Amino acid sequence: MAADTVATAQLVPLRTKDEVRASLETHTVYIVEIPARFANAVKDAIQDAAPDFKAAEISHLRRVVQFKYLPAHLQKQFYPPARLQRGICSDGHDEPSPASLFTPLPPSDDESCTKAEDTVRFFLLCPTRCFKPAELVAILRKNPPFSVINIYPKLLYVTVPALAPTSAEQANQWSEQYWPIAYKNTNPYGPHPSLVARNTVEIEPESSTWLALASTAAAEITQLGVGEKVGCVVVDRTRGTSEVIAVAGDCRWRSPLGDAEAHTGPGNVMAHCVQRAIAMVAKKRLRMAGSNPALLDRSLFCDVPLTEAEKAPYDKDNISASGYLCVDLDIYLTHEPCVMCSMAILHSRFKRCIFSTRMPLTGGMTADTAGNATNPGKGLQHGIFWRPTELNWKFLAWECPSNAKSDASIADTVHV
Amino acid sequence: MASQLPQERLPEYEGNMGTILSSPAGAVPDLVTQPHHPFEHTEPQPCQAPAADHDADDMDPDERAYHEHFMREAIKMASSSPRPQAELALKSDETPVGCVFVRNGEVFGRGMNETNRTLNGTRHAEFVALAGILSKHPISDLKETDLYVTVEPCVMCASMLRQYAIRAVYFGCWNERFGGTGGVLNIHSDPSVDRPYPVTGGIFREEAIMLLRKFYVQENEKAPEPKQKKTRELKTEILPMDIHAPKSTPTPPVGASTLRA
Repeated sequence: MAADTVATAQLVPLRTKDEVRASLETHTVYIVEIPARFANAVKDAIQDAAPDFKAAEISHLRRVVQFKYLPAHLQKQFYPPARLQRGICSDGHDEPSPASLFTPLPPSDDESCTKAEDTVRFFLLCPTRCFKPAELVAILRKNPPFSVINIYPKLLYVTVPALAPTSAEQANQWSEQYWPIAYKNTNPYGPHPSLVARNTVEIEPESSTWLALASTAAAEITQLGVGEKVGCVVVDRTRGTSEVIAVAGDCRWRSPLGDAEAHTGPGNVMAHCVQRAIAMVAKKRLRMAGSNPALLDRSLFCDVPLTEAEKAPYDKDNISASGYLCVDLDIYLTHEPCVMCSMAILHSRFKRCIFSTRMPLTGGMTADTAGNATNPGKGLQHGIFWRPTELNWKFLAWECPSNAKSDASIADTVHV
Repeated sequence: MASQLPQERLPEYEGNMGTILSSPAGAVPDLVTQPHHPFEHTEPQPCQAPAADHDADDMDPDERAYHEHFMREAIKMASSSPRPQAELALKSDETPVGCVFVRNGEVFGRGMNETNRTLNGTRHAEFVALAGILSKHPISDLKETDLYVTVEPCVMCASMLRQYAIRAVYFGCWNERFGGTGGVLNIHSDPSVDRPYPVTGGIFREEAIMLLRKFYVQENEKAPEPKQKKTRELKTEILPMDIHAPKSTPTPPVGASTLRA
């Protein structure tokens, strides 16, 4: 299939495991109304009472918020905002009645609400797990402004995202949905948005070409009757232009003698297309280094090219002998690789992974449960491509839903 | 408990595994409740219960001797020994991980790491052994086969073993960098279309750790940017919950984790 006849693929970056978690996890925090100028005093009082509480944990949330900046549902819930009467705090009344201290604004007096010096702010204290309500009230009452005005602090409860947003859009959405958000233009839970954007721009124009080549490899191997209709392509883009390093289809139904086998059981799991492609890359490096590529070869690994699509790139000496595994290489697949192959891609230190069709019951790359047409709402949620605190390598990954096959040529229970 | 998991739940195991695995401390190894195993492998056990995640220290002496015998064979694959293959391991600078597959009480296949010689990061001991086994035997034999490996299977191998329907896995030390059966992820028991399998860690754990440490104090000339290792020292003390203790659930029972001399 010629490259210029293929429509441009739309690449969608996969969400990481932590990004999925960050988008779903919420908890409840305490809010209290205080005069604006006491914000620092209250903040220090909380920090002193809970030394283990890390303010960084809520640094994605605005700490001090005016009534008018609250999301609509909270404005409705907390209406009307209270305000302090002027001079109350310094006058030191012995037993002021709460009603005279925090007086509700007249409903029509919104203007004075925002301009009055003593207008209250909504102060985010801490997550509810830090204190029991009674403990927190006791702490607040020992400190200004409540110790001065001797008023009983009224705790409010608000549900907020537990983790920081990963994009500006998400920050805006959360500010309307939960609580005003401070977005720092970073993504602590995945690759930086600008990095993903740069890489998407770089590979998107030619992705459809390589995904089509992967499909060709899949179709050719199916004609031999030795594998499922899945395939992959390994590409090197480090020298400006793209070089195809390896192409492989699936060989799980190929017997040790090379015949087509009956399609029962899992087949030869070690002959999944990713395993074959990685082995071909390794053998090319051995060949370039002057070693025997058949060193330690075993027929079960099926790492000899079998089809036209596989043979041409395998025979081309276009890889450095000194390279390490698959560092700096990209892999394109017809389908989301299984857990085994996802980890093989990680072990091999690939740079980028792009696949067409999700495999929600068997795939190891996706972290969410978006599923596919036949299995919506499903996913193993391993997100193997980006778990830097747990696994020893990470890479960028995309799916290409516009290219996804819905012809059910591959059952959802198949491990790709 | 775990043995009650009905076969009808196949092929999807979702949900239940979590509760079983979250309380390994109280879990009696299945082997104890099935006295015929491991000494009689006469009957296939297509749905051996995924009681899983036992610590080797929980075993009774007979059972332990049986498993230690085969773990000793796995260690031979990984370490220097009269075996020509193991000699090769030293010369070829391979990470010392070895394994044996055991069927009907006998070693059914052997493997050791070949990642450096093949320039292929997926040529783990389990792949090498299975490539040999499956060239002569049908895949279905693996349903009655157990794996003994010096280091916990990685995420990749853990998934491969599950796809092949391995019966059980026994390993030496945990792998906190990419372990797939408790060290980092729980690929043996997480929701999947494949039947889960039970794992037991900690058999000759200290020896497995020492094999790795002896290897890693050497220079790795094949690494892209060799790090200075000359100043590294070989540590010899191993704490009960040292580096290769599992990171995620389940945690081995602390009380049972006494060291062997």
